[in-house]
Amino acid sequence: MNLLECLKSRQELDSDLFLTPMRLSDRTVTLAGYTSLIDMPQTMIVLRQLAQNDVASDHPLFALDSGLGVAMQNPDEQALLDAIAEGDLLIFSDEADRCIRIVPVSRTLSRAIESPTTENVLRGAISAFNEDLDTNIGLVKKHSLSEKLRIRSYMLGKNQRRRSVLLHMEGQNHDRLLESISNKLESLPDKDIPDLQALSELLGFSKWSLISRFNTTELPQEAASALESGKVVLLLDRFPFAVVLPSLLSDLFVTQNDRNFPTVFRVSFQILRILGLLANVLLPGLYVALVAVNPEVLRIEIALSIAGSREGVPYPALVETLLLLVIIELTLESAIRLPKTIGPTMTMVGGIILGQAVVDAKLVSNILIIILAATTIANFTIIGFQNATALRLYKYLLLVLSAMFGVLGLFVGMVIICAYLGHVSTFGIPYLTRWKTGGRHG
Amino acid sequence: MDKSRQVIVMYLITHLGLIFFLYPVDIISALSVGHWSAVLLGFMLHIALVAVYTKGLSYGAPQNVVDLFQGVGKAFAFVALLPLAVYFIVVIIITTRAYAEIATVIFLSDTPISTIMLLFLAVSTAISLTGIEAIFRTGMLIAILFFPFLLLVIVLSFQNADWHYMLPLMDRKTASLSFVYHPSFLKSLFAFVGGFLFLGFIPPDVPYRRGKIVKVSFALLPFFLISVYVPLMTFGENTSSRFPFPFIMAVDTVDISWLMFDRVTMFFMISLLCFVILFLSLVMWNTMLLLKRGFPAFRTKSAVLVLAGLVFVVCLLVPSWNTLEKMLWWNTLLRFYAALVIPLLTLAIGMRQRRKGAVRP
Repeated sequence: MNLLECLKSRQELDSDLFLTPMRLSDRTVTLAGYTSLIDMPQTMIVLRQLAQNDVASDHPLFALDSGLGVAMQNPDEQALLDAIAEGDLLIFSDEADRCIRIVPVSRTLSRAIESPTTENVLRGAISAFNEDLDTNIGLVKKHSLSEKLRIRSYMLGKNQRRRSVLLHMEGQNHDRLLESISNKLESLPDKDIPDLQALSELLGFSKWSLISRFNTTELPQEAASALESGKVVLLLDRFPFAVVLPSLLSDLFVTQNDRNFPTVFRVSFQILRILGLLANVLLPGLYVALVAVNPEVLRIEIALSIAGSREGVPYPALVETLLLLVIIELTLESAIRLPKTIGPTMTMVGGIILGQAVVDAKLVSNILIIILAATTIANFTIIGFQNATALRLYKYLLLVLSAMFGVLGLFVGMVIICAYLGHVSTFGIPYLTRWKTGGRHG
Repeated sequence: MDKSRQVIVMYLITHLGLIFFLYPVDIISALSVGHWSAVLLGFMLHIALVAVYTKGLSYGAPQNVVDLFQGVGKAFAFVALLPLAVYFIVVIIITTRAYAEIATVIFLSDTPISTIMLLFLAVSTAISLTGIEAIFRTGMLIAILFFPFLLLVIVLSFQNADWHYMLPLMDRKTASLSFVYHPSFLKSLFAFVGGFLFLGFIPPDVPYRRGKIVKVSFALLPFFLISVYVPLMTFGENTSSRFPFPFIMAVDTVDISWLMFDRVTMFFMISLLCFVILFLSLVMWNTMLLLKRGFPAFRTKSAVLVLAGLVFVVCLLVPSWNTLEKMLWWNTLLRFYAALVIPLLTLAIGMRQRRKGAVRP
């Protein structure tokens, strides 16, 4: 009986907790659970049904094999609270101090399966992950119907319990990768994972890494194809993305969805993305290098026309470029914050600023506008928003080096970036690996 | 996993970086007719040494040079490898100084040479700290990015070639091989020697097929020939012997109407400079490995920084191009030690090791 007392004292602190008496097959019982998680009327109907069945088959209600949920053996208070927090319903008998834990009809607290919001699919499955872990697992399973799919479940965190699930394909993995990841997850079960950065820390990646060591995707199709090719997928409860490990350079250019197009188109898309990446990283630096340090590289006609367009611009090319780049970054950032209804305003205002006005006011040159527009567009040819964000940073390095050393600085900057990419590795798998298992990427 | 491809690419690009700047001028000033014979002679020497070296390494596989030498005796290894370490350090100094000078001469006339040297050293030090496997991967990526461009410029460089300048193919002086003792010829071996020694330092966990290296070396021959013959065919022997960087001058004459750039040369040279930076980081990594094995007390990170600082100071002390040429000449002795003695010793030790292994399996 003292368990019920405990819960009653708890109720005073947590008004969401209900303790409802009810009669079930001629016995008085008390139900305990969270109102916000349990659909009570539906649950009661189901309970009555179950109890009637039990009576019909001549089973006592609280016997171990009553078929009415799981009997809890000598639970302590914490076990009860955990069970309730997970959304289960507890049934206490009024005579003996016994308790059964059952899975009730729960309230729908997740959205339905919708189309993705950060990734677009032109041809291919459009259902996306949502916040419900089981739905997500189901989606992945639907997409890779294979008996080789293995699922390991973990409960992480101390203050904030969070379910997470590791999926992998038997026999496809780099054993070391799988082992390192599951070791990390098992060795630190008490670490809270409120966000991806915490997950990254849990997995032992540096805080200052400029490349995200895991790829996130909203599409079950992508997750399934990653599994197929031997990568490991991690799903977190309440997180509508699948975390794919390891992330590789090819993830910037290759997506499963491309395979719905003929090979020639697929390859040209990929070349296009590589060009996009190069244009995004190189163009601003190239402009500064050619205008400020090495104008003799250009054909004389072009050099003159650029010089002409910069006539009246009062500061050096570096400042000019930085100024406009910052404005573009601000536009991008505010576009994320703005509600969809005000979005068009941003487009209009940005269009005016970045269009004719700033040139007419002789603040920047015409050509810079073209270059920065091209840079920004090229930025988003890369697959995955998180990858595109990482790229935005590199161009500043090249910009500064170009302003100092001209074209030489630009190229040396490329070397630095290449060296950084070459240096990064995830659980012993270099970022620049050509992923071979399954023969799909490469 | 077989890393042959990465090793080969690294081998090729470090050589490419060294070929096009200093090599042509040495060959052109070493003899006036039949330059191909000097190129071929140097190249044969190169192939022979690479073959000897890789053979020795494959006998001793999977150990690297340092392990092999230390297998004979600690003191022996120390004495035999110390000159190599000195050679590497001198190579870093000369290369940094020379290429910084080239950069200022050709396209950064306003930038002080010290900042360029600092840039080179800082970048190559950082790369060398990431370790040999990362260096290889970087090399691969850079090769993929820059190599197509390089090939394009090399093809374009034939635009103004007059093939008659190739003649005469031979004269009495060339046939007698008297150019072998010409200082310029000996200096030209710079391009051959520095590049292949790193093969011996690759740790056992980077497996590669040693036999492939020798085969791939032949792919370098056209580049050696082109670097000498393109300026010869563009300007003729008399004129091109007056230029400090004949190949660069020859590429500078190329005019392509459909390109928005006037000086294609610059991109060409800068890609080569990037290869040189990789070469520098590779040599620096080699040096560090040697120093660490010789003096285990060193901590890698601080030792690399000290080394880089030292090199920078020495580079600052080199006053002019002439001094540099002299240094290049003084270094010849060490170069011969590194190029001849080390491969031969490696072969000898490798064979000995194999015999021992055959007796006591």
